[in-house]
Amino acid sequence: MLVAAALALAFPFMVNAYWLSVGVLAMFYAIVAASWALLAGYAGQFSFGHMAFVSLGAYTSGLLVMTFGVPIPFGMVAGVLMCAIVGSGIGFVCLRMRGPYLALFTVAFSEVLRIVIVSENEVTGGSGGLEVTPLFHGRTDAPYYYLGLILLVASLAIMLFLVTSRWGLFFRAIRENEDAAAAAGVKVVRFRILAFAITSSFAGLAGGFYGHYIGILTPDIGSVDQMGLVVAMAVIGGAESIVAAMIGALGLEFLVEALRSYGQWRLVLFGALLLLTMRFARNGLLALAWQQFNAILPLPLRDVVGGKGQLGTGTASSPQPPTARGGGVS
Amino acid sequence: MTNYLLIQALNGLVIGIIYAVIAAGLTVIFSILKIVNFAHGEVYMMGGYFAYFAIALAGIPPLPAVLVAMTLSFALSILVERALLTPLYSPTTERKGDYGILVTFGISIFLRALALIIYGPYPLRPPSFWPGVAVVGDLVMAWDRVFAGGAGIAMLIGLVWFMNRSPWGEALNAVSQSRESAAIVGINDQRFYMLAFGLGGALAGGAGALVGPIYSLSPSMGLLPDTQAFAIVILGGMGSVAGSILAGLMIGVSESMFVALFPDPSRSLTYAQAFSLLILMLVLLIRPTGLFGRTHVAME
Repeated sequence: MLVAAALALAFPFMVNAYWLSVGVLAMFYAIVAASWALLAGYAGQFSFGHMAFVSLGAYTSGLLVMTFGVPIPFGMVAGVLMCAIVGSGIGFVCLRMRGPYLALFTVAFSEVLRIVIVSENEVTGGSGGLEVTPLFHGRTDAPYYYLGLILLVASLAIMLFLVTSRWGLFFRAIRENEDAAAAAGVKVVRFRILAFAITSSFAGLAGGFYGHYIGILTPDIGSVDQMGLVVAMAVIGGAESIVAAMIGALGLEFLVEALRSYGQWRLVLFGALLLLTMRFARNGLLALAWQQFNAILPLPLRDVVGGKGQLGTGTASSPQPPTARGGGVS
Repeated sequence: MTNYLLIQALNGLVIGIIYAVIAAGLTVIFSILKIVNFAHGEVYMMGGYFAYFAIALAGIPPLPAVLVAMTLSFALSILVERALLTPLYSPTTERKGDYGILVTFGISIFLRALALIIYGPYPLRPPSFWPGVAVVGDLVMAWDRVFAGGAGIAMLIGLVWFMNRSPWGEALNAVSQSRESAAIVGINDQRFYMLAFGLGGALAGGAGALVGPIYSLSPSMGLLPDTQAFAIVILGGMGSVAGSILAGLMIGVSESMFVALFPDPSRSLTYAQAFSLLILMLVLLIRPTGLFGRTHVAME
């Protein structure tokens, strides 16, 4: 953990400007993928509209800043609030929907939002994009990197606190069996909406950060392909663990850039990797790697190094006590 | 104006038939495998390209090319089903619904990215089935559209006949009602999962081949019909083939009426894309079982 922290802090001094900007984007994707894992992996609500909330947060902040001259931090907070409100709304109307119905509804929602942004080009700039004031005006991206790192660590801490608290138990209880959870006294309605609103707010936060870093917003950020990339990140890392999804996002974002010369083949590769992961290692490659690593350790050391709970290798049928998950993280 | 509306309605009818073919395929897959296939639009896209290359490379005339596209889409679907969907039938797989959603979503990403490489991002237009336009009185319509509508109707009739009258269709119905009971009377369910997924893919591929000359082919052409097909399937009721056909026609016609009557012409086309999505959202909210939903195929 200490090594990782030192590496994360020293990163801007070790790389050139190009890889630093990749690092900033990796922070953005890590927040998005981790919050999607909280929603899909923990709460069991498969939303394909997560990038739509990123786009909603980014455009809310961008439009407030550009049209009304609101200071950027307030714009970002407004984006988060907007996502929380719309997220609770969507969570509320989706209450009766399960599994595929929810997935369909959120795909439709994100496409409608994208179409509205493209069509209302007088306000949003349409597909040409909306220019947004950047947050910092320095010569390097280092301030963005550290801000992204702070946001990521803070989001991760809040999410891990959530899933290790009673709420996390409620989320998982609802995921496994809604009726049983209700019978056991879990307020299903309240916690389903909460899960949606909370994770959407994180998406909105990431969106605001992204917008004020990139400087130009296009409707593409909310597209199905972007959603596919985030799903691939979370699933390849391990969608049932927030930390694993985050690591998956960091790894994949760097892989995206490292393989830049392969152009379009990267998406094919990630699609294939996503399918193989789903087919053969549903808990994600990190859990699989940990198992392999664990198997070659001498017997007394197994399961002691502290990764098992951390990566959430627990499957659906054997939920671990909430304290075991994320125990080795903070 | 009335002529314009009439032509729009006829165009909408043709599009509605195509939607119905796509949606019927989705319904067949849904009622047997109990999954929502998020990769359906990509098979539709592949079908369009299969037809294009059958015409351009192999020199097959347009009409048999549609059949070639359907056959190849059938084969592609079976390949996908065998490689990736078998865990759906295994009793040890946990939360099959989630698996189905994620894996078909992954397939759609994969196929779309692959198509972008193989076929390139530029739209392709296959040759006409039947050049020229049909003129009836004041009404003018491209023969291609007439042909696509006719072929679509033929596919739908064939499907309804197959599902209701043929022994295989009855077996499919049996598997849809209860896997265990079907197995007891000697139906090999694995074969019928393959058949159902392949059949759904063949319908999507056939629809893609039919719209090729009307619209152009592009790797992302499947995105919109995919969500539209979902809207239709939900409106018609999950698992009801007849419901899908009727809802397809309704959505096709009302969508082109929407384009014709939308007050701001510069935005009508983009908002028309949102139209069926709004219907989808409304139906999901108000009546999730749709108009003709059968209870025994409700989602777990």
